[in-house]
Amino acid sequence: MSRSNPLSSEQDVLVDANIFFAIGHPSNPKYARFRSAIRNAGVVCKLPQRVIGELGGSEMDRVRTALDEGWAEIIDAPSPADGDAVAASDIATRTIANETGKPEHEVEKTDAILAGLAIQYVRDRSTERVVVLTDDKPARKGIENAVTAQGYTDVIFVYGLTAIIGDDSGDSMRLI
Amino acid sequence: MTADDRIRSDGGIDALDPPPTDIMDEETLDPEALAQNAPKLETVVQLLNQPALARVYVYVCYWGPVSPPEIMDGLELSKSTTYEYIDQLVDLGLVDRDDSIRPQQLTADPIIIVEQYVPIVITPTVLHALALQEVDEDVEYFMDRYGTGKLIAALRGAGLHFAGKTTQRMVATDIDVRETEAMMIIYALEPALTVGRTHDPFFEHLFPDVHDQMDLSSLDEVDGAPAESDSPE
Repeated sequence: MSRSNPLSSEQDVLVDANIFFAIGHPSNPKYARFRSAIRNAGVVCKLPQRVIGELGGSEMDRVRTALDEGWAEIIDAPSPADGDAVAASDIATRTIANETGKPEHEVEKTDAILAGLAIQYVRDRSTERVVVLTDDKPARKGIENAVTAQGYTDVIFVYGLTAIIGDDSGDSMRLI
Repeated sequence: MTADDRIRSDGGIDALDPPPTDIMDEETLDPEALAQNAPKLETVVQLLNQPALARVYVYVCYWGPVSPPEIMDGLELSKSTTYEYIDQLVDLGLVDRDDSIRPQQLTADPIIIVEQYVPIVITPTVLHALALQEVDEDVEYFMDRYGTGKLIAALRGAGLHFAGKTTQRMVATDIDVRETEAMMIIYALEPALTVGRTHDPFFEHLFPDVHDQMDLSSLDEVDGAPAESDSPE
């Protein structure tokens, strides 16, 4: 099956933690497909420290495997300080509140901050293209709205997991 | 306040505390009525305490009528284990055995227990989630660490997430687990939602608000799905 992988080597790929749970354990075919997609594109997944959290729990084995294998790295992304970046996180917060029907103060800061981190990343490094991967739909909508509102749609691209490895989930799901 | 309003994002249901005395009356507390319900209570306790048994029950309930060899293949169980569980489920009255044809055919009625004052919701989807600990190390880890109640809360949170009504990190806060643990269990419970949505007649009791809004794999796409019985829709 051919699919166009939207990743290429001139991009920086920022990845939210949930991607590593959506692909399952290292033994899962989805994990292998994602690893291939990342390696074939010649990129390394950049996991901002503040969205990946502590690596302590046993559920983190899949992240540690990626780090050990060299196709992921933890980066210390600077907090949103630039005006565009701060505003982006606010827009993401409002979008997530709207999507989930929750008040803004109940929106997790970490869900909203990825939008700000992405824009700050672009501002700091004058990177040509940044890809943000998150499999959490309300959170993704927040980032997409923020990127659009702040005018970064030609620099920052936001995708879910299926954009990278396709929608054929059937090969890996054990029903019962 | 409607029942929908009382369902919290963490999977629980806001209950009046303490329950009003008039929810039980002479009729429901009649010794004869209580005696009739006693076996049902025991069978549910058995299922909750034996996830391997619940797994066979859910398989028969969802894909019955099925034969013992089909269960062996579908669940990758040994012959002796399969018959042991079938006998136990038949003895508990959870599975019906038709010996008039060969191979014998097994069916099971879906069970539901809803108690809004505790609150408790048990449907085949919930039993499926518990049964997944037999085959999924992430569900097993979560059960060992947090137990049945929180797993059911996580199941409810996962359903809300796939319906786009909550983020995974919100689920973590709601059920008080680490963010990455919430992410792990949400994906691990996806099979119970994927199958339950089409096979559990009581799915709406667990998800009255979002039962038709979840973005999940369709069963047709899922390779290795147990063979469907010819049931007229």
